[in-house]
Amino acid sequence: MGRLVLRRLSATVPVLLLVTAGVFLLLHLTPGDPIDVMMAESVDATVKETLRRELGLDRPIYVQYAAWMGRLLRGDLGRSIRNGEPVIENVSRRLRPSLELAFFAMAISLLVAFPVGIVSAIRRNTAIDRAGATFALFGICMPNFLLALLLIFFFGVTLRWLPISGYTDPFEEPWNGVRSLALPAITLGLALAAVITRTLRSSLLEALGEDYVRTARAKGLSEWRVIWGHVLKNALIPVVTVLGLQLGTLIGGAVITEYVFALPGVGRLVVDAVFARDYPLVQGVVLLIAVGFIVSNLLVDVLYGWIDPRIRAR
Amino acid sequence: MAGSIRESERAESAAGLARAVTSPIRPRRWRVLRRASRARLAPFGAAVMVLAVLVALAAPVVAPYDPLAQDLGNTLSRPGLAHLLGTDNVGRDVLSRVIWGTRISLLAGLVSVALAMLAGSLLGLLAGYCGGRTDGLVMRVMDAVLSFPPLVLALALGAVLGAGLAGVLLALGVVYTPTFARLMRGQVLSIAARDYVDAARALGAPGWRIAARHVVPNAINPIIVQASLSVAFAILAEASLSFLGLGIQPPQASWGSMINAGRGYLQQAPWIVFGPGAALFVTVVGLNFVGDAVRDALDPRTRE
Repeated sequence: MGRLVLRRLSATVPVLLLVTAGVFLLLHLTPGDPIDVMMAESVDATVKETLRRELGLDRPIYVQYAAWMGRLLRGDLGRSIRNGEPVIENVSRRLRPSLELAFFAMAISLLVAFPVGIVSAIRRNTAIDRAGATFALFGICMPNFLLALLLIFFFGVTLRWLPISGYTDPFEEPWNGVRSLALPAITLGLALAAVITRTLRSSLLEALGEDYVRTARAKGLSEWRVIWGHVLKNALIPVVTVLGLQLGTLIGGAVITEYVFALPGVGRLVVDAVFARDYPLVQGVVLLIAVGFIVSNLLVDVLYGWIDPRIRAR
Repeated sequence: MAGSIRESERAESAAGLARAVTSPIRPRRWRVLRRASRARLAPFGAAVMVLAVLVALAAPVVAPYDPLAQDLGNTLSRPGLAHLLGTDNVGRDVLSRVIWGTRISLLAGLVSVALAMLAGSLLGLLAGYCGGRTDGLVMRVMDAVLSFPPLVLALALGAVLGAGLAGVLLALGVVYTPTFARLMRGQVLSIAARDYVDAARALGAPGWRIAARHVVPNAINPIIVQASLSVAFAILAEASLSFLGLGIQPPQASWGSMINAGRGYLQQAPWIVFGPGAALFVTVVGLNFVGDAVRDALDPRTRE
């Protein structure tokens, strides 16, 4: 197990290097002078020069990169040019709503996907299975901003059951906090549930065709014991794979969901930074998101080895 | 997953198709059943696709109104005979804007996937064929691109490339490229080990000729499958970026930006959102069916 972790970690290093280089170059992809893009024309020329010197844009590009990497290694991701605060602080203030959203969305998706996926596989080609398949198709094809607006329309505007925007911290006001996260979490969770349902159903069906299932049935085990004790565990590996592959989509979905529901999370921060043309903040947040994404993928890989000993041995 | 930019589950299935060429045959029952249940849906998908293409091409003819013409005396009016899908907050005809938006959506889906297919296939061919350091470098760069959540990468790229259709097309092209590169490289590696490639080499064929005549034609099927599955998601991605305010700029109509503009009027005039929303949803569902049908047709595992 330790070797698996080590191997994955060492494979990540060159990718991390390239990612930082990519994020650094982002600023230099801007057509024209980045300073002119970031600041209005009316801004005083000396102010612009100060910013240029602060960002190091007056020096050769390799010097800039070395300086930037040096600061990065010391944990300095730069400062937002809008509020002057370090990127790290901007992000850490926004982290909580995002993590809470992700947690609730994940919980909803698993609570929906497992029953639907299992029942669809057991009762394949019945009305229940077809209903499950329709649900999955709906979830996969429905753009999440549209789903968000439909939910707002029905539960917020028409029925007035739930708040349609804003955020209350569930740790401070549990009831209002959960209510404020309900619609965003459903938006994000339903789409994920659709993908997991599909994967779980087909991997269950594949596992049900295996010899050990026939053996278990021949032993006289109840169908429930066969599924719960033998099939489900073996069918779980593709589900974990898909969960890992969906992580990126989940983060993108969170960006849109936070934007629609005005949740003050990291995703909302990215969108705001992009439209404020606050490039140092964009760079910093995008880099942090990418690193978070890489680390989560690493965790999924390790989880994989934990579930399936065959992968550990390889 | 919805709003997804790179549909990983589908990427997996196309990669699975690539693997299947060498893997032993698995029980087929379920796939055949699934295929049969899908076959009924393919004509619907094809019809949606044909309709979308026709509407996009004939937009100036079929749109009942000028999509940009404002009518301030007739704002937020309900769907009715005069305006089949109602009017928006400045009195523009929603149906006409949906029709013109079809152009943007299809263009975005097709062009960005074509860019990614071209770039990704060439990079994958280079990596698989040259091997060694070139392979390592190209594939690490692809890994680095894949280390960004797709939408976040597209947002950041779109931000620096500037708002507008071209920036979004380029950004989405970059986002999709690694999938094609990985697929192509895998194909090239498996095909380059075949006997007929050895035979061609023994006959003295130059490297480029082997690549063009033997490797690429045999590697192309999974690439086509992946491309056809990607278009629907590229359309979703463009709509998402337009929804966030990147992409096509107002007053021009794109489904995503129309939905964003209408979200402030959900209570008084939900049709501003529902018109383009329905168009987007139906198009994505239809293209999904077409993508599945293309995969089934080209997938050796489901061929009888």
